[in-house]
Amino acid sequence: MDSSEVEFLAEKETVKIIPNFSLDRIYLIGGDLGPFNPGLPVDVPVWLALNLKQRQKCRIVPPAWMDVEKLEEMRELERKEDTFTPVPSPYYMELTKLLLNYASDNIPKADEIRTLVKDIWDTRIAKLRLSADSFISQLEAHAKLDNLTLMEINTIRAFLLDSLNCMYKLRSNLQPGSSKGQFTDY
Amino acid sequence: MDTQSYLPVQPGVGMGENFLSLDDIVLSHERLPIRTECRFPRLGFLEKSSDSQDIPEGTKMELPLWLSKGLYEKKRRVLSVELPKVYREGWRTVFNADPNVVDLHKMGPYYYGLGSQMLHFDSPENPEIAQTLLQTFIGRFRRNMDSSQNAYNEDTSALVERLDCLEKALFTSGQSGLNSFQSWEKGQASQLTASSLVLNYRKRKITDLQP
Repeated sequence: MDSSEVEFLAEKETVKIIPNFSLDRIYLIGGDLGPFNPGLPVDVPVWLALNLKQRQKCRIVPPAWMDVEKLEEMRELERKEDTFTPVPSPYYMELTKLLLNYASDNIPKADEIRTLVKDIWDTRIAKLRLSADSFISQLEAHAKLDNLTLMEINTIRAFLLDSLNCMYKLRSNLQPGSSKGQFTDY
Repeated sequence: MDTQSYLPVQPGVGMGENFLSLDDIVLSHERLPIRTECRFPRLGFLEKSSDSQDIPEGTKMELPLWLSKGLYEKKRRVLSVELPKVYREGWRTVFNADPNVVDLHKMGPYYYGLGSQMLHFDSPENPEIAQTLLQTFIGRFRRNMDSSQNAYNEDTSALVERLDCLEKALFTSGQSGLNSFQSWEKGQASQLTASSLVLNYRKRKITDLQP
C-alpha cells in the first residue's frame, strides 16, 4: 500500500467548516452534505473542506484534538507508557499534514502542533520497532498491537512481512521433513 | 514506489529452492568440499591435480552444490559431503556469541541459503546448524531493521556490505517503506511521474528487427 493511498482514505474523515457562501443540501453517493449557510458551521469530508478552502470559500475549524495542550498531554502519556496509547483519530498524522499544509492560517500555533505530532509519531515508531524486535527475538507466532494507525503499519509492513517469511522458513528447517513436499507454482 | 518491468522471484531460503529465482541459481553453484566414496571411471579430467583417467575412491575435491545434491544418496554411498568451514563447530560458536560482528557477505554471501541446503546431507550436526542459522538471523534482525529504517537519503553501501544476500533483500524492502513515507511527508507523493517502463521504452526500428 502506498502512503498516498492512506492519505486518500484519510480524506474521508469529516471536519467542521464555516462556509462564507450559501448552497442547498447537495446529494452525493457518500451521503448528503449541507445545507451551507454563511457563518453556520457544517460537517464535511476533508477533501471537500480543502477544496473549498483553496478557493477561499470557507474557514476550517480544526478538530478538537488538534490543540497544543491536548497534544502535549498525549506526548507525555505516549512517552510514559510502554504500550501504544489510543490516538484521537485513526488518521492523526495524515490529517495534521493535510490541514496544516492547506489551512495553517485557520489553526492557531500551527508550527507547535506540527512539532508535537511529529514527536508523537517518532515515539510511536520507536515503540513499534522495539516491539517488532522483541516479537522476532522471542520467536512469537502472533502478537496483538492495539491502537496502531494505518500509516504506522504501512511504514514497516514490507520489511516485517519479508523478515517473518524468512524466519518461518529458517524455523521450519528445525523440523526436518516438514518443509519437504511443498511446491510453489509459478 | 518503484515499478519494475518484472517481478523478481524471491529465493526459497529453506530446504526447497525456487526454480526461477536468480539468487537460488547462483547459490546452486557454490562449491562444497566432498570426498568420493567410490571410483568415478573416466572422469579424471574433472580433477585437475592428478593425471589418472579415473577418480579413485577417497579423493577429496570440490563439487558444486547442484551436482553434490544430485549424487548424494543415503543408501548408495557415492560421495560424502563435508561441511564448509562457516557451518562447523568453531564458527557456530562465533555466531552464537555475537552474530553482529560477522561479515556475512564475506562468509557467504548465501550464508542462510547454503546453510539450509546443507541440511539435505544427513550430517549429525544438522539440528545445531539449523538452530545457529535461526539464531544468527534473529540476532542480526534488530540492527538490520534500524539501519534500513533510518538511512534516508544517504550512502547505504557501508551498511549493506556486511549483509548476507537475504538480509540485503530485507534491507531494500525496509528502505522502500521509509522512502515512500518520506516522499509522502515531503509532498512528493502527490506529484505524478512517468512510469519507468515508459521512460525506458524506445521505439524499435524495423531495421533492428530484420537483419
